[in-house]
Amino acid sequence: MQWTYFIYFAVAAAICWAAGALFAWREDGYRWAIAASCTGLLIFAAFIAGMWLSLERPPLRTMGETRLWYSFFLPAAGLVTYMRRRYKWILSFAVLLSLVFVCINLFKPEIHNKALMPALQSPWFAPHVIVYMIAYAVLGAATLAAVYLLARPAQGKQSQVMELCDSLVYVGLAFVTIGMLFGAIWAKAAWGHYWSWDPKETWAAATWMAYIIYIHFRLHHPSRHKAAMWLLVFGFLLLQICWFGVNYLPSAGNSVHVYG
Amino acid sequence: MWKHPWGYAEGLTICGGLLLTGIMLQFAVGKVELGRLSYPFGLIAGALFLILLIVLHVASRRAGLLRWLSGQVAAITAVSALLLLVIIMGLTRQLPAYEDVLSEASARHNLSMENPAGRMGFMQMTSAWPFALLFLYMLLILGLVTLRRLSRFRLKDLGFALNHLGLFTALFAAAFGSGDLRRLRMTAPLNSPEWRAVDERNEIVELPLAVELKSFGIDEYPPKLMLMDNSSGAILPPGRPAGVEVEASPAVLELAGWQVEVVKYFPAAAALINSDTTLFAEMEMEGSAAAVYARVRDANGAALREGWVSCGSFMFPPIPLPLSDKVSLIMPDREPRRFSSEVTVYTKGGDRRRALIEVNRPMAIDGWQIYQLSYDQARGRWSRYSVFELVRDPWLPIVYAGIGMMLAGAVFLFLSKPRKE
Ligand code: HEM
Repeated sequence: MQWTYFIYFAVAAAICWAAGALFAWREDGYRWAIAASCTGLLIFAAFIAGMWLSLERPPLRTMGETRLWYSFFLPAAGLVTYMRRRYKWILSFAVLLSLVFVCINLFKPEIHNKALMPALQSPWFAPHVIVYMIAYAVLGAATLAAVYLLARPAQGKQSQVMELCDSLVYVGLAFVTIGMLFGAIWAKAAWGHYWSWDPKETWAAATWMAYIIYIHFRLHHPSRHKAAMWLLVFGFLLLQICWFGVNYLPSAGNSVHVYG
Repeated sequence: MWKHPWGYAEGLTICGGLLLTGIMLQFAVGKVELGRLSYPFGLIAGALFLILLIVLHVASRRAGLLRWLSGQVAAITAVSALLLLVIIMGLTRQLPAYEDVLSEASARHNLSMENPAGRMGFMQMTSAWPFALLFLYMLLILGLVTLRRLSRFRLKDLGFALNHLGLFTALFAAAFGSGDLRRLRMTAPLNSPEWRAVDERNEIVELPLAVELKSFGIDEYPPKLMLMDNSSGAILPPGRPAGVEVEASPAVLELAGWQVEVVKYFPAAAALINSDTTLFAEMEMEGSAAAVYARVRDANGAALREGWVSCGSFMFPPIPLPLSDKVSLIMPDREPRRFSSEVTVYTKGGDRRRALIEVNRPMAIDGWQIYQLSYDQARGRWSRYSVFELVRDPWLPIVYAGIGMMLAGAVFLFLSKPRKE
């Protein structure tokens, strides 16, 4: 197996996944959605297995190789969530994210041999960043829903949209937590300690706490929608500061997270 | 207020009270000296905290007010108050915890003394009394919540248990173990065992182990060619500097509209410098540098200039190739891909181990972790010493146990359904 064959496997898998995602939107499409998604996963898994055999090592070394796993696990996770929770949108969302990684591998493979400074050359680098990226997307979606409700308070649908926000935040917070803990484990290996209150870490902690508050507030006061929506906006604001705002703060002094 | 059941007002008032108490303590006795929590005091303090937790838990079966402490409102207000301090921390520049803000060091930073944030301890937040009190309060609540649910554990509480017990375990060990954390810096010269290191204050510490540097090496990325503006020294094109990697010769490369023909490429070469000419000969020696003999044409293909270009080293100067009055072809310093130290470590117990230490690949021995930190930047690959960081954190396994539980808990969170309204 070689990278040159990737396009055939990727296109075949993508067609299956897209079909599965479309079926999920139809009332009677549940079985077909699962069948199509599984076929896509099998095709993609075959490519990974082939690479594994021909490289004689797990394909986990270069950035391109790790992206293979994300392209695979995103639809897989989407499928599990769909089977458990029956959200119509989750497959489309997962497939879309996965296709981003597939496309990067197809169109920008030269990133494989780009110079990475030694501290970034770690098996934790890709998971840490990509898990945060997914969380970012999911929590962004929750914030959009909240802003929509704040701007146009639709009385009838409010509970439904709040429930959607809840499930998005559960998924998003799960990813934020995993991203943060992967970061901690990596920091231990790279810099000697798992948590140093570097400005980026400080804002990550603040973001995480804001969403913890949201979850518990919702559990305790399910009917206080407005406050909950403002909490979502607040949490996303903190996430923005964590993402790029820190670079402009006086506290960023000599952050280890500022590269180049 | 203060009528049962308590709500947000009471919860926030308690947090406000703790904050004020913390600020007053900070003024009265100065910051929390976390170093004092070193063995066995950290262990004792941790044990006392756990005993307090259990006593409160047992007592809360009788006293309704104590039961409030393991409720959602207490949790929400406590996390919110702590969040406020974390945000303040994110907005203020933090000084290292070992520095004494109120004395000589403050003169250097020149801002801490008059600055109210510095006075209240906010410039060393993690060792400030307000932070410590609110953190312990939050941890106490988290512990009580966890105990209450675990004391009548059912399988459907597994996700809850993993998240809350995991967080409690990690935070507990991180906080009460912080006094036992040792981080030292050692500069190890080639071929001579070193057993001394310095702590954050640059005080010398003798270690129960010795590190002997056998060899040091840097793997570098292939050299790059770039264009430089002769007058400003800026890399061109401005804003998005372009560069091409040289990996073999002969080769023809394209660089921002110029055609660069690599006639000869020596990864390691020595320069022979005369008054008006510079030549390179391929040679692997101490101080050798990468060099390229290039023939550069402009977009029309007209032969323009040819000559040597090199990144230089501590032995040889960098050699640019001027293409015009305005532009030169240059080779910037090569970027390190990997730096590594081959060492032999001797322990007091008579143990002796060889290892290769790299960034991201520390060596573990006798409860210590040895990290590659730095080297002699001026000599680069030919550094004659290597700088290591030595870390000891006996509470780490407990923190990792907590992190493991939280990772499993996150999977539960991912799969769990929010409550229906
Ligand atoms: C890792 C971070 C945390 C996550 C993911 C999390 C998540 C949750 C979830 C999903 C529940 C509902 C569980 C159920 O009812 O089955 C819950 C309940 C609760 N959590 Fe948390 N939580 C976290 C941290 C905290 C912290 C830091 C505190 C307190 C300081 C806290 C206090 C509580 C309380 C009081 C309840 C209600 C328990 C009960 O009614 O029995 N949680 N949490």
